[in-house]
Formats: sequence, structure tokens, C-alpha cells
Amino acid sequence: MKHLSLIALIAVSGAALAETPRQIGDAYAAAQGGGYRATAARGAEFFARKFNVSEKMPACSTCHTDSPAQAGRHAITGKTIKPLAPVANSERLSDPAKVEKWFTRNCKEVVGRECSAGEKADFVAFLAEVR
Amino acid sequence: MSASRGKILVWDLPVRVGHWLMVGCFALAWLTGDSEEWRLVHVFAGGALVGAALFRVAWGLIGSRYARFADFLQGPRQALAYLKSLLGPRPEHYVGHNPAGGYAIVLLLGFGLVSGASGWLAYQEMGGEWLAELHELAVHAMLVVVLVHLGGVFIGSIAHRENLVRPMVTGFKSGDAADRIAGTRPVAALTLLAWASAVSWWLSR
Repeated sequence: MKHLSLIALIAVSGAALAETPRQIGDAYAAAQGGGYRATAARGAEFFARKFNVSEKMPACSTCHTDSPAQAGRHAITGKTIKPLAPVANSERLSDPAKVEKWFTRNCKEVVGRECSAGEKADFVAFLAEVR
Repeated sequence: MSASRGKILVWDLPVRVGHWLMVGCFALAWLTGDSEEWRLVHVFAGGALVGAALFRVAWGLIGSRYARFADFLQGPRQALAYLKSLLGPRPEHYVGHNPAGGYAIVLLLGFGLVSGASGWLAYQEMGGEWLAELHELAVHAMLVVVLVHLGGVFIGSIAHRENLVRPMVTGFKSGDAADRIAGTRPVAALTLLAWASAVSWWLSR
């Protein structure tokens, strides 16, 4: 009994450590509720949209370039940013906590507010299908 | 040999300037930590904090009497005895840092240097995500020590009926003339400022 629960615990924590983009996107869609169906097209529009909240970082694409499969360049420091799309960087969209951390930080500064779970689901759907 | 009591110089300028430089840098770096727009300010502040911490380590070896580690680093038993005495009617009094405060200094310098090293390595993209995680861990540990330190200064000020913040600004405490330090060491303080600026500039390249 003890062993079984231990194995279950390891399985659960293993799943929490490494998830697929699909799982992460589904979790955001579920959080949005109302049977939300994420689309990559809405995510692409969001990625390119000029929010103009920050003068130096008006859009996601300011630092991350027009394609998430390319390496980006930090608008302030000039440092290289690894590609956002899992196709170019397998570490992306594998850790839900990290994904949420960066949504929280960057939405606040670039979008000027928290992003909705639906917007996050669309964004994940877009990144996951970029080739 | 009870000499005349009065205002005596205890903290030299490098101790005071370094202290408030670290306060300002920590606050600034903390506030700008999650921002990309303020990233360079964050890195400059962190760099200056590293410079101030490194200088403090050297000053702990060659500085004036109460700045030296040898003056305030004691065993954990002495630190506990000091803390216990704060509860009683006769709290142990130290002209310089008390032994519990000494531990705060070492921890703040240690966590400050680990924060700076991990932050710099992450900024230079040497090493993986674990550096960013170590950075956050060290910074949070440092915040905890900062809060404990503030609590200690507050409690100590009440227990000793002595404002412990003001001497960190003016350098002066009440005490025996025999216990005073000779001078404020202004050249060393200017060296500290130049050094911290240089380290900040170098680390943020």
C-alpha cells in the first residue's frame, strides 16, 4: 500500500515536471472554462499585436522576432533570447510553472495587464504548431 | 579605568557608506527583478551590491576596529547568550556589532555574493535554468535575513534604550572615550564607491 502510493506520487510529480505543450494548453483552456477551444490563429494575432503599453517593448514580437522559431533579442540589453517554439527549443512549454511565470511577468509589462487563461491557451497553441 | 562617557565614533565611513549602498542596491534590485524594461538597472544595482560586499569582506580584515570580523564574529553560544540576555533586565552590551548581528552580516554578505554570482552567470547565459533558480533562492534567503536584521535592530534598540539606526548614519554612539575609533577613513570610503561603480560597470557588460 505504502509502495503503491509512493509510485503514484512519483508518477504525479514526474508528470508535473515534464508536460507536453498540448497538456499545458489544455489546462489553460479548461481554466478559461465554457468549453474554450484554443486556436493557433488567435495566438499568432496576439503574438504580433502592438499593445504599445511599453515604449521599448510594444509587442511580444519586439524581442521574440516575427517567428517564435527564431532566437530573439532583448530590446533593452541586446542579449540573445532562445526561441519560444518547442520545435526550435525543446525546453519550451515543458514546465507549466515556468510557462506561467513568464506569462505573469511579460503580460504585466507588455500587455499591461494579466493575460486571460484563454489568451494563454491560444498563445500555447500557436507556439506548439510553429514549424 | 572608567573614562569619560560621551559621543564616540564607532562606525567608520566605509562601514556606513557600504551599509547604505547595499540597502539601496538590494531595494532597487528587488523592485526591478521581474521587469525586462528595468533589466539594466537591476544588473547595475546587483553589480554594485557585489562590489560593496567584496569590499566589506576586505574591510572586515583591514578596516577599523569595529569593522573587523575579528571584533564581532563569535561562536553560536555567544550569539544565543546575547539574544537570551535581551529578554532579561541586563542585556549584554557591545560597542560594535553584537554577536547575533555578526551572523546577520556574514549571511547577508554570503547571500549577496551568491545572488550576484548566480545572477551574473545567468545574465551571461553561462549555465542553465538552475542558475536563475539559485538566484531567486539566494535573493529570497537574503530578504529573510534583511527582515530578521531589521527586527533585531528594532528589538536591540528597545532593549538597550539606544537608537541603533542613527549611528549607522552619523557613526557616533554613546560610550567610553577609550573605545572610540581614530578616524572616519574617507579615502577608503571613496575607494569603496569607485570600486563598486567599477564592479557594477564590469558585471553589466
